[in-house]
Amino acid sequence: MSDAYVIARGDLAALLPELVLVGGGVLLLLVDAFAPRSRRWLTPLAVTAAAGALAALTAASGAPDGLHFGGLIESSGLSLAASAVVLVAALLAIFASDGYLRRERLAGGEYHALLLWCAAGLLLMLRARELLTLFLALELLSICLYSLAGYHRRLAIATEAALKYFLMGAFVSAFVLYGIALVWGETGHTDLDGIADALAAGAGHPWLVTLGMLLLVAGFAFKMSLVPFHAWAPDAYQGAPSPFVAFLSVAPKAASAVVLIRLLGALAGSAESAKWSSLVALLAVLSMVGGNLMALVQRDIKRMLAYSGIAHMGYLLIPLAGIDQATGEPVLVYLLAYALMNAGAFAIVGMLYSSPGEQHLISDLAGWGLRRPLLAGCLTLCMLSLGGIPPTLGFLGKYLVFVHAIRHGHLWLAVIGVVASLVGVFYYLRVVYTLYMLPEVRTPGEAPPDGWGRLAAVVAAAGSLLLGIWPGALLDWLQQTARVLRS
Amino acid sequence: MTDFLQLLLGDSLTRLVFFPVLACLPLLLIRRQETVKRYTLAVALVELALVLRGVGGRLVAGAAFEPWRDLAANGSPIAWIPRFGIRYELMMDGISLPLVVLTALLLPIIVLGSWRGIDRQWRGYAASCLLLTSGILGAFLAVDLFLFYVFFELMLVPMYLMIGIWGGQRRVYAAIKFFIFTMAGSLLMLLAILWLAWSHSLVAGSWSFSYDLLSRLDFPISQQLLLFAAFGLAFAIKVPLVPLHTWLPDAHVEAPTGGSVVLAGVLLKLGTYGFLRFAMPLFPHAASAAQPLLITLALIGILYGALVAWVQSDMKKLVAYSSVAHLGFVVLGLFAFDQMAWEGALIQMVNHGLSTGALFLLVGMIYDRRHTKEFDQFGGLAKVMPWFATMLVISALASVGLPGLNGFVGEFLILAGSYRAGLALPVIAATLGVVLAAIYLLKLLARTLWGPLDRAENRELSDLSLREILTLAPLVLLMFAIGVAPERFLAPSREALTVTLAEFQERRDEPAPVALRLRDSAPLERPDEERLLLARRGGR
Repeated sequence: MSDAYVIARGDLAALLPELVLVGGGVLLLLVDAFAPRSRRWLTPLAVTAAAGALAALTAASGAPDGLHFGGLIESSGLSLAASAVVLVAALLAIFASDGYLRRERLAGGEYHALLLWCAAGLLLMLRARELLTLFLALELLSICLYSLAGYHRRLAIATEAALKYFLMGAFVSAFVLYGIALVWGETGHTDLDGIADALAAGAGHPWLVTLGMLLLVAGFAFKMSLVPFHAWAPDAYQGAPSPFVAFLSVAPKAASAVVLIRLLGALAGSAESAKWSSLVALLAVLSMVGGNLMALVQRDIKRMLAYSGIAHMGYLLIPLAGIDQATGEPVLVYLLAYALMNAGAFAIVGMLYSSPGEQHLISDLAGWGLRRPLLAGCLTLCMLSLGGIPPTLGFLGKYLVFVHAIRHGHLWLAVIGVVASLVGVFYYLRVVYTLYMLPEVRTPGEAPPDGWGRLAAVVAAAGSLLLGIWPGALLDWLQQTARVLRS
Repeated sequence: MTDFLQLLLGDSLTRLVFFPVLACLPLLLIRRQETVKRYTLAVALVELALVLRGVGGRLVAGAAFEPWRDLAANGSPIAWIPRFGIRYELMMDGISLPLVVLTALLLPIIVLGSWRGIDRQWRGYAASCLLLTSGILGAFLAVDLFLFYVFFELMLVPMYLMIGIWGGQRRVYAAIKFFIFTMAGSLLMLLAILWLAWSHSLVAGSWSFSYDLLSRLDFPISQQLLLFAAFGLAFAIKVPLVPLHTWLPDAHVEAPTGGSVVLAGVLLKLGTYGFLRFAMPLFPHAASAAQPLLITLALIGILYGALVAWVQSDMKKLVAYSSVAHLGFVVLGLFAFDQMAWEGALIQMVNHGLSTGALFLLVGMIYDRRHTKEFDQFGGLAKVMPWFATMLVISALASVGLPGLNGFVGEFLILAGSYRAGLALPVIAATLGVVLAAIYLLKLLARTLWGPLDRAENRELSDLSLREILTLAPLVLLMFAIGVAPERFLAPSREALTVTLAEFQERRDEPAPVALRLRDSAPLERPDEERLLLARRGGR
């Protein structure tokens, strides 16, 4: 190809959210390096960058769907809504990190910069319509995530977490790259539309195409920590800084879920689509049942939340088992609910347990409901939302997922989901009763005033509750924007 | 949203439901425990006054209670989540009327009854009571199934906290068991509700959860059985029917007095109310197919509950198991599908709330004094506590079903109605349950009130205080009132029951369709009035 692609002005405008995030990260580094006295402005700066990206997204929401960079990147309702979820998680994590970084005396500039770059990688990943762009975004994301997981370098457990996450992540990258190679080799395309057309036309050796797609799906199943690709999650979450886990446990999973929607959407036209649906349903059942059962026996709250997150990804897969134009709505509502309640829970955990090197035993929470009423109240709301108790957003997410299942004749999936969520209620309630009903065994550590952290807790809890009570506007907007398939 | 606010400020069901929960907010500012108690009592009394005023204004003497609906300013139902046809739809008719009044009546009583028993975290306790009341009222009034489900689940949380924080020794176990049992039933009900709404979208083109619209659906018998099973399981756990009752003794025994009173007084009625309001009218063929099973379970409950109550050594457990037996009567009455039996079942729900509520309060009062509920510890209390003895005797006799008191009215109507409906054998078995009830309740009286006053601790016991007498007085007065003039209490509900029964029988007697279909009746503008007219013309 001799004629070089000229970047149009519209292309750059479309990239505005990512540019804001990356630029914000760079600025943070510069401030940290050259104006050490202004360190207390780092958190507000990071918040501004993330909020700016969110504003840029909202500004772009009026624009019609379109392709940029010659079809490498898309702007669509689906990517827009999912990007908003990612940025909400990033904001919650930034809020919650401020107090943590000060308490642990960790420099803040790089931390927030890395977090913003992660978000930029995710936003790019959400919009990639082409596999190599997707891979680049994945790498941008992953490398920042590895560094953040081990950010607390004085803690052995954090280094262990980072190493484990890195090893697993390296496998993911290899899987995805190999998958891309196979798919390209057999279909001659790396863009999803081309692949979809080629698959519908039955191009390529069926086994090799299937293998390539399987590797791709497995790679993102790793990132979503679906059973049986879940083993890294509890260890990584346990060691990594809790406020960062608020991001780690939500945003990459959200983006991976959307990528899976894209991949399965490309497969929807192929002859094998029914088999792919069954595979997704199988992963959903394994994750829901396995995640919930394993969470049941955890004594460490971060590990428990890790397994519960695995189970939640199982619920999230239910709409993917019957992919159609309406898949986006339940997935996005569930993701938003998950972002609020799970990021909120990890943020609060980070504030309640003052020594990050130790285990975060659930039993240590005993009696803290009265000691730390605000945080405990918010944690309770997050737990109820995670458990799917109405009228929270977590309930609405489950409701939409089950509606989708019933509409597609997957009643059995809904029944399994319901039974699994009953198991879930049991261990979420354990946190609630430990907080309020058991006598205190440990006095909570000294809590320096942490306004940002409280903001994270309140936003997460209030969001989970209020959006559950008044979901009308959210649902209407998603229904209009979040179209999954090419029309 | 604006409609909601308008309703909230006006004379509406919305105000009745949301006043208690909104009244929780000032609790954040009140610090002193005594002030919290007084404030909560004031809120409870205002709520009762609101309910009585709202109901009283619509209750014409001798006539039916006109259904009371919350509608938007333009007269249409209020949409909540329009995407799925979910409405914010509250309606009070003759069926929910007595239960709503009972709920509102019990609120000040539990506040007063907890005055001394609850010694810590009154703010939290008050908030739990108020939130619980809102949840229960919402569940009794909601006629959109999604809304009903939300309220049905919403009240689990405050009840869970009430048992778990202010309960007895094994409170955490009891609280979790209560939550998990109820949730297990209701989650399957949620799936059934979704299925209903989806079916509506299949035949009518749009999703709906509104009872009025869903009751136009005719399901083939195979689907009806599944759906009825899902609804029935949720309600049977709530009632509770043997063998799903095991959560009840634990929850009752561990709960603080106020919690036990709400639990027995109104929470259990959500199960029987659910059968009457939703499960039977929506799935008439399945309900009549399940009649033998449910009547058998009800009879097992009556006899088993009574026998187990008989052998208890703990007063609270005795009262708890007596609930299983009493609710068995209600279920028997409901599944007789007979006007008289239904009237009896409805009034018996109220009766059980009054008499069991009073018994739990009395047990709580003696527990506050002696910190034990074992029979062995008592005897001869009538000599030192005449007021206590009087109240206990009246409440126990009301529970037994002595003529002149309320329990007799309910049990008689249920038994007579069921006999009329051709259930002779079950009626005979249930009558045996009445005898057993007399045995265990008289045992309660004999072991505590009569006999020698042989324990030194008991000689020092003080009689009921004025506050305690005031707590019990409304319950006892109502026991007499219903017992002496039952017609006044039966009349407002009669019309609603007649209409529901007529419609149920009409649909049951048609053969079930082969495939899902919409009933041929045209969509009605004001379904209730139309239905009333139909029933007046054809039914009687």
